Amino acid sequence: MSGFFDLLFGWMGSVDPRALVLAFSAIGAGLAMIAGIGPGIGQGYAAGKAAEAMGKNPEEGGRPATIVMLLGAAVAETSGIFSLVIAIILLFANPLITKEGVGLVLACSAIGAGLAMIAGIGPGIGQGYAAGKAAEAVGKRPKLQNMVVRTMLLGQAVAQTTGIYALIIALLLLFVNIFK
Amino acid sequence: MENLDFGVQTVIKLFEVNGQALGITTTHINTWIVMAALIVIALIVRIKLKNFKEVPESKFQNIVELLIETLSNFTASTMGEKNRNFAYFYGPMFLFILLSNLSGLVGLRPPTADIATTLALGLTTFFMIHGYGVKAKGPGYFKGFLEPMPLLLPLNIVGELATPISLSFRLFGNILGGTIIMGLYYAMMPLVLRIGLPAIFHLYFDVFAGALQTLIFVMLSMTFVSSAMD
Repeated sequence: MSGFFDLLFGWMGSVDPRALVLAFSAIGAGLAMIAGIGPGIGQGYAAGKAAEAMGKNPEEGGRPATIVMLLGAAVAETSGIFSLVIAIILLFANPLITKEGVGLVLACSAIGAGLAMIAGIGPGIGQGYAAGKAAEAVGKRPKLQNMVVRTMLLGQAVAQTTGIYALIIALLLLFVNIFK
Repeated sequence: MENLDFGVQTVIKLFEVNGQALGITTTHINTWIVMAALIVIALIVRIKLKNFKEVPESKFQNIVELLIETLSNFTASTMGEKNRNFAYFYGPMFLFILLSNLSGLVGLRPPTADIATTLALGLTTFFMIHGYGVKAKGPGYFKGFLEPMPLLLPLNIVGELATPISLSFRLFGNILGGTIIMGLYYAMMPLVLRIGLPAIFHLYFDVFAGALQTLIFVMLSMTFVSSAMD
């Protein structure tokens, strides 16, 4: 097995560094978008809860629950947007191409940036869960909409924190010369 | 397709430190524009203030009173009634961040899409948290770092240091994301698709995300400061 890796890295060292960076950026961009799993699950849960609230209390609770669900789902989309931004940077505004350094390290930085963004799955699911619970609560007691929405937004903002750390690392890998 | 640059541009180069050019950037200029807009609004309100009546008659007075009342009530309901006076700090902060985030609508690069701006706002919060904590509880405030047990002191300190970082990067990341996506859209799409259609994206990335992130930043900052005080 180690012979295989020696061969692989030896080959990587011999190809054009620019091509290596471009190829690995493509993988990185693809990997970053895996984070889309999170918002997908979370928003689906939120939508389900809102539909449930609509079914139970269509006269009073349905509309406020739908609004809360849309608001919460939009916040849950944040991790997906972060991933999209990193993928777009890798594809169209790649700073690694013009950077000075070892080709292999730069190429792996591209993959690393993409891998880091997978962390977005967590915040996406969590924020969607919060949005679903908020929609459920508002469906039951529409008068408390303002309070529930504010608590939901506060919690979702805190749940975003790890996703933001991932974004920091991805941006650092792309824009700052860490490994000189 | 050539590489696009979404970063901050240095407009006037003043001097160099270690090969890094320092000077007046687009962030400075756009911040000044936002400041100028806020100052002009403030001056207009100040001039019209002497015409204000006990019971509002003009529409203008109604709007101003509504704005002030909303900000004041928002502060009171987040920080508690006794901290209502924080509205004099958080109100202008709210308006500054909101206007900065919305400045993408008129083609400016939002000042909040620069980590320097948001980190300054985050550090302000950081020093307010501990300043008001000490002011409210005395030196005993720092005993809170030893809870729930003294062994967790390093973790608590790291947690406190992470607060301004996560706070500033949350705002920065969201606004920068919108800026990059909009910039890319305008750079890539043919002219036909650049008219009218981007309004939908602007509505989401600038208006919705901008207003939401303003609310979240100010609300989190308020919550941190008020929880350090009691």
